[in-house]
Amino acid sequence: MDRREFIKACSVIALMQVLWGCRRVPEVSLVSAPELAEFEKEVRQAISQSKGAFDLVQVPMPGAIKAPGASPLNRFGMAIDLDACDGCGKCILACIEENNIPLSPKEQRDAGRFMHWIEMHGGAPTMCFHCGNAPCEKVCPTGAASHSPDGLSTMMYKRCTGSRFCGANCPVGARKFNFVDGVKEGLARKFNPNVPLRGKGVMEKCSLCLQRLQDHKHAHMATLPGTEWRGNGLKTACSEACPKNAIVFGNWLDPKSPLVEAAKKRNLYAPSAIASLDPSVVYMRGRR
Amino acid sequence: MYRFLVYIGAALLLLGATAFGVSLWDGPSAWHTDGRTFWGIPISLFVLWIGLAHAGTLISAIFLALGYPLGRRTSMIAELSTLCSLAVAVLFPLVHLGVIENFYMVVPFLDARGNFSNIRSPLVWDFCCIAVYGMVSALFFVSHLFCEKNPSLKSLIRPMAWLLFPLVLWVHTIVSLDFAVTFVPEWRGAFFPLYFIAGAIYSGLALVIILLTAEHCRVRVLEKLMLSLSWFMAAFWLWEFMLKGTFSFEVVFLGAVVPQLMWLRFIRENTFGRLLVAFSILISLGLERYILVTPSEYDVANAFGWVDLGLVSFSVGLFVLLFFVLRAKLGSLLEGDDVVMGEIVVQEDDTAKTDVPGRNDFTPLRFPLLLGALFTLLYVIWAVSCDNGMVFPLSVENVVPLCLPIFVLVACFTLCAGPLWKITGKRTKIVCIVLAGFLGILAGAFWSGGSSEAPSGAVSVQELTSSKTIEGIWMSRCASCHGNDGMFNEKFVREYYPLPQKLSLERLDSLGADSLVHVILDGRVNMNPYRGRITEDEARGLVRYMRRLAGEEQ
Amino acid sequence: MDAILNALSCLMALGTSMFLWRKPLNVYKEAGILALFLVVFALFSYFTMDASDLAQEYMPFRMLAVCLCFSTTSLTSHKSRYLVFAQVLWLWVEFFGGLTFVYRGLDMPWTRVIAIGSGALGGVFLSHISREMEFMLMVYWIAIWMFF
Repeated sequence: MDRREFIKACSVIALMQVLWGCRRVPEVSLVSAPELAEFEKEVRQAISQSKGAFDLVQVPMPGAIKAPGASPLNRFGMAIDLDACDGCGKCILACIEENNIPLSPKEQRDAGRFMHWIEMHGGAPTMCFHCGNAPCEKVCPTGAASHSPDGLSTMMYKRCTGSRFCGANCPVGARKFNFVDGVKEGLARKFNPNVPLRGKGVMEKCSLCLQRLQDHKHAHMATLPGTEWRGNGLKTACSEACPKNAIVFGNWLDPKSPLVEAAKKRNLYAPSAIASLDPSVVYMRGRR
Repeated sequence: MYRFLVYIGAALLLLGATAFGVSLWDGPSAWHTDGRTFWGIPISLFVLWIGLAHAGTLISAIFLALGYPLGRRTSMIAELSTLCSLAVAVLFPLVHLGVIENFYMVVPFLDARGNFSNIRSPLVWDFCCIAVYGMVSALFFVSHLFCEKNPSLKSLIRPMAWLLFPLVLWVHTIVSLDFAVTFVPEWRGAFFPLYFIAGAIYSGLALVIILLTAEHCRVRVLEKLMLSLSWFMAAFWLWEFMLKGTFSFEVVFLGAVVPQLMWLRFIRENTFGRLLVAFSILISLGLERYILVTPSEYDVANAFGWVDLGLVSFSVGLFVLLFFVLRAKLGSLLEGDDVVMGEIVVQEDDTAKTDVPGRNDFTPLRFPLLLGALFTLLYVIWAVSCDNGMVFPLSVENVVPLCLPIFVLVACFTLCAGPLWKITGKRTKIVCIVLAGFLGILAGAFWSGGSSEAPSGAVSVQELTSSKTIEGIWMSRCASCHGNDGMFNEKFVREYYPLPQKLSLERLDSLGADSLVHVILDGRVNMNPYRGRITEDEARGLVRYMRRLAGEEQ
Repeated sequence: MDAILNALSCLMALGTSMFLWRKPLNVYKEAGILALFLVVFALFSYFTMDASDLAQEYMPFRMLAVCLCFSTTSLTSHKSRYLVFAQVLWLWVEFFGGLTFVYRGLDMPWTRVIAIGSGALGGVFLSHISREMEFMLMVYWIAIWMFF
């Protein structure tokens, strides 16, 4: 066989392989979605590997965000009562069920990396702090991480290219990256039909239960048109699940909101790493 | 000799190709990523190769601009190594991405829907700077390559060298900002621009020295520079240690101690001695980049898997293959008149000082510079003043990093357009025009995207009255995708979801009310289920409303 | 960093600049001296500045840049060109250093950047530099260092 024939044969084989690769493969899902018990087990593992406590500094009560386009009426946030919280981890499980958070692959789990949007730092739940001046949003190349008018740091999954710059720049490590396809690997379960399962290669993090806010807003607009929507009576999954009512959700700009009412009697704290970034989620401790 | 090196390159490339394929296929889970920063080997390789891509232009352009031109062969080798390193470097940010097919979203191109990349992000600056650097250095290389035969090109080279001079330094500064603007404690560094530039030049010099060894050449001035830079690197590493306490024995030993062997005569005068030093520098700098990119991994040997090693091998193999194939192909064009065999010693005195670059360098540059400045000014004014759908505020300091690339790009193309146009053949011209037209059409299509009429008043609360609850539900829940007239809102839909169905009367008839209610409540394909959020009666009301909308349109 | 230490750092840069570009010129000599200066400036910044002060990060490099600016006045050939280069280096250090601080929550030192930038731009149009002009430039740089 001379050289040319050899090359011809090689190209024919390569072409056949390409054609074979293009054939239609029936999509069968070989793996089934995991059971709730597996998520519970993972939460227990995560709590047992609780990370070190943050260095907390006192912060003032969050006010309106001073960016163009920010709503003067709404800025949603939470306050976590450190005196009431006993670190039971029910919030983590509730968050998983609300937001369809996948399990982590085993090797990641053993390295202490979980997909959970809420993690325990020194026994206190920590999620994205929804900084008013968020460092993650500044470095996102596509604008997938951006601020909503209502003061949430949001993620547009379809716009994310997975450069993970936001994850590197988050001082508290609140962002989680989908290294694998949760559905194909049998790691994700769609508990809540209203929240999409995230694809492989995108970042995700606490959305402050954006879907609940959105539904609440639409219901308000449809039933009470012409009135201002301030998110009254709404709760996130974690605050709903907390047996001690240690997580208070509300609108920082609404004086009647349970959040403001709870926070004004207390001292507010934030991790020192983000205290200057105007966080919307804060810790409460002691009485003023 | 070249054939042998090409085989080595191909072997390394093949060894690494599997790792490269796996990385593309599996995404970031394929290689080791840092627990805190999520970054890994592709970014380290990117920084390393983009640094290596600087030495060529630096040696060639800056020496030329400052009036110390090196031999033609030396500078051509250096420029070719720039282009090849750049080709290797641009692969790795793509590999790094989680969703590779979305990479175009990084391009700062405003489309009609106002989607725009976030030009506050250093990654966007990176993309633009490297694209411009690649184009300009390719132009420089081509002009330099053909200037022997076309004297009209010869007068372009010095002005272009002056344009490349700041650009080269700017690009690596921007690369350093990827790290320096973050809150990662190990990446704190207002001094990173200088640190990265020094590292880039240092490693680039080592690479050029290795490549010149393959040519059986030796340029002492480069060796002197390399040795001098080793002291600066030692100072930088000392400052890193004082500031953050990070210190790696291997990096400092290979990068700052081993090069001092050049003081010994028998090392300096021995080909293998020089190669040893140059390779030691490259390994040190590669390791340094990896340690920098993955700050929470102290045990590099443990962190490296076969994919990481494979990617390293792939990058080296690709470079060697590209470089030596091009070197062999271009052959005599590169060497010019000073074709020499065997070991030659280019004395420092040989790199004779030519005339001092005077004002005549700038005469052909006047108009291009003016045009470049004009475009840059336009860009700044547009970027600072426009709020076309942008959700983030821009300030001057966010905009400045893109100024120099725009300036240099415009100036360089203005400068070269005339002379290059004259020397290209007819067929090339036609191909160029067709290509430009095609690109224009593509850009236009991308820009227009689709109709961007927002559904006016879709979410304005005032229009809704309680007697029109169904319409209110439509406006609040359905109109964001389907449009308030039922003809779907392309502005939203095109970007984020596949297109929903147009709700024409025939289609509504063919489906029937019951199945429409079913779709609304339980969802279908990309339509979300709304059970629990609206009642069945409301769904029936919505179906009636859809029919009314469709009927109004017919 | 208080004003006295700031003045001291400027004085150090001025003093060290006297050792540069002495004849005969030699790559190793100049590079060695500059690298040594960098180490000295680094030690100075490390021991005089507070670790919580972000400006510490680029202090040695600012000192090196201003030292190079001062040293260009003693050059014999291509003086105006290297004058511009040294000022551009300083501008580079200040601007990009400032840019990284902007992302970490500080403000850009615009007055300083503009002052150095206009100095560099002015340098482009200088063909002949007299001794008086050199003195004025040095005073200008010291003023930028001390007050902006």
